[in-house]
Amino acid sequence: MLRFAVRRLGSLVLVLLCLSILVFVLSRYGGGDPVRSYLGNNASASAVAAMREKLGLDDPMPVQFWDYVSRLLHGDLGMSLSTRRPVRAELADRLPATLELAIATLLFSVVIGVVLARVYALPGCFGGIVRFTLLGAASAPAFLVATAGVLIFFVQLGWLPVSGRTSYGPSEGLSGIYVLDGLLTGNLAYSWDALQHLLLPAFAASLGPGVALARVLADGLSTSIGSAYARTARSLGESERSVLRRHGLRNAASPALSMLGVQFGMMLSSLVVVEQIFSWNGLGQYLVMAIDRADTNAVATISLLLGAFYVVINALVDIALAAIDPRVRLS
Amino acid sequence: MPSSPDATTVPAPTAAAPARRRMLPLPSRPGRRGHEARPVGAVVALTLLGVVVLVALLGPALSPYSSITVSGPPDLAPFSAGHWLGTDHLGFDIATRVVEGARTSLYAACVVTLGSAVFGLALGTLAGMAGGWVDQVLMRLTDLFLAFPATIVAMAVAMGLGPSLSSSMIGIAVIWWPLYARLTRGEVRRVASSPHVEAARLSGTRGLTLVRRHVVPSVLPTVVVTASMDIGGVIAMLAGLAFIGLGSPEPAPELGLMASSGMQYILGSWWIAVIPGIAVGLLSLLFTYTGDALRSLLRGTGA
Repeated sequence: MLRFAVRRLGSLVLVLLCLSILVFVLSRYGGGDPVRSYLGNNASASAVAAMREKLGLDDPMPVQFWDYVSRLLHGDLGMSLSTRRPVRAELADRLPATLELAIATLLFSVVIGVVLARVYALPGCFGGIVRFTLLGAASAPAFLVATAGVLIFFVQLGWLPVSGRTSYGPSEGLSGIYVLDGLLTGNLAYSWDALQHLLLPAFAASLGPGVALARVLADGLSTSIGSAYARTARSLGESERSVLRRHGLRNAASPALSMLGVQFGMMLSSLVVVEQIFSWNGLGQYLVMAIDRADTNAVATISLLLGAFYVVINALVDIALAAIDPRVRLS
Repeated sequence: MPSSPDATTVPAPTAAAPARRRMLPLPSRPGRRGHEARPVGAVVALTLLGVVVLVALLGPALSPYSSITVSGPPDLAPFSAGHWLGTDHLGFDIATRVVEGARTSLYAACVVTLGSAVFGLALGTLAGMAGGWVDQVLMRLTDLFLAFPATIVAMAVAMGLGPSLSSSMIGIAVIWWPLYARLTRGEVRRVASSPHVEAARLSGTRGLTLVRRHVVPSVLPTVVVTASMDIGGVIAMLAGLAFIGLGSPEPAPELGLMASSGMQYILGSWWIAVIPGIAVGLLSLLFTYTGDALRSLLRGTGA
C-alpha cells in the first residue's frame, strides 16, 4: 500500500512538472509580447531592451523555465496585467470563494449521484423515460442549466438570489468560506444567506457530474448484485439489504469514486462558466476577465493552479481506491 | 457477419472480423437496464441526426436573413411573424444564427473528433502491434496526457494561441486523442492475438498489410462508435470555451458566444441566451444518444 502511494505520488510530481512546462511554454511563446504589454507600444528600444534584460527574456529557455519554477515555488506568481496587482494577492482574495463553490459542487454531485442511481435502475417504460431525461440533463451545458435556474428560481419564483455570494458584506471570519464563517462566528442568518446564494451555482455545476456518477453507480450496483459472490451471500441467508450494503455498494464504490475524480475536471470548467453567470467573485470570474484583457500571466497561473488542483485530487482518489480495493494495487 | 461468435472456427483471412466485446451468456439481472438492443431508438436517433445535419448544411439557403446583419426590430419574442425564434438585442434573426452556429459547431466538432480519432488510432495501433518499449513509451505518454485536466489544458492552449475558434479546436484536440490511443491499443492487443489475425500471420501476411486488412477493420467499429458519442461532448466543450470568450469574437454566430452575450438581457429577453443553449444541449444529446444506441446495437448483435 505504501509502495503504491509513493509510486503514485512520484508520477504526480512528473505530471505537475509537465503541466508547468506546458503552461510556461504557452505563456512565454503564445500570445503577444509581455514587454510590449507592460510598457505599451510607444516604449523606446532601450527601455524594451532593459525590460527584457530585467525579466530574463534573453536567457536560454531552460534557464527561464528554471527561474519560472523557482519563483513559483517561492510563491512569486508575477503581476496581473489586468488589475496591476500581484497575481498572488488576486488569488488569495478569490480562492476561498471558488473553494466554497467547489466543495458545495462536489457534495451536490455525490448526493445527486447516489439519489439518481436508485432512480436510474428503475425497470420498465418509466425507467426508460427517466434515463432519457437524465441523459438529456447531462447533455445540457452548465451555462444552460445555470440560465434555466436563474429564470425559474429568481425571475419566476423569486426564491433564490442569483448574484454574488451574500447579501451582506464580506464575512469577518477567518476562512473566507462564508457559510462556514457564519457558523463559526455564530451568525446563523449570515450562513443561511450565503447558503441560499450557493444553491443555484452549485447545482448548475453539479448536475452533469452527478448524472455521470449515477450512471456508473447504477451500472456497478446492478453488476455486483447479479454477481456470483452476491448469490453466495444470498444462499448463506443474507438479506437483500445486507447484500446490497456489504457487497454491492463496496464494489460499486470504486468505479464511482474514480468517475468522481475524472468528473472533477469537468466541474472545474463548469465552475468557471457558472461563476461568470452568478457574479461569483472567484478564480473563474478572474480567469474570464483575464482572458478578456489578454492577461496571459494571470491565465497561465490560474490554469496551472486549477490543473494542479485536479491532478492532486486524482492522485488522492487513486490512493483512496487502492485503500478500498486491494486489486488496484496489483495492476 | 456470422450469427454467433465461435472462437474455434478461423474465419477466412480476408473477411473482416466483426469487432465485438467478449460476450458472456449473462443471466437476465433484476433491475438491469432494459435498453440493451434498441434498433428503433438507433433508427430514430440516426434519422433525427440526418435531419439536423441536412439543415445545418443547407443553413444559409434556408433563411431569408443573414446571420450578421439586422433583419428586424430588436428583442422580438419567439414565434413572431417572420422570426420563428425571435430576434436578439440588435435585431439579428436568432433562428438564422442558431442554424449557422449549429453548422459551425458540427463542423468544428467533427474535425476535432476525426483528427483526434485518426491520430489516436494510428498511435494506438502502433503501440499495440509493436509491443515492447515502443508500447511502453507511447502508453506512458498517453497516460501523461490523460492525467492533465482536459478543459483546463484546452483553455490554456486556446489562450496561448490567441482566442479563436481554431485555437479552441486545437486545444480540445490536444487533450482528446489520448482517449482513442488507449482504446485502440487495448483493442489491438485483443485482436492481435485472435485466431483470424494469427491465421493471416501464418499465411504470410506481414506489416502494414496485416494491420490494414485484419487489425484495423476489427478495431474501427469500436473507435467509430466512441467517436460518435464524443462529438456531443466536443460540441458542449467548444460552446463552453466560446462562452468564456475563447472562441470567435462578436458578432460571430457561435452558439456559446450567443449564449454568453445574451446573458446581459436575461431578465428582459430570456430567449436570446436560452435558445442557443438549448441548441447546444440538443446537439450534444443527439450525438450522445446516437452513439449510445449504436454501442448497444454493436454489443447486442447476435446476443
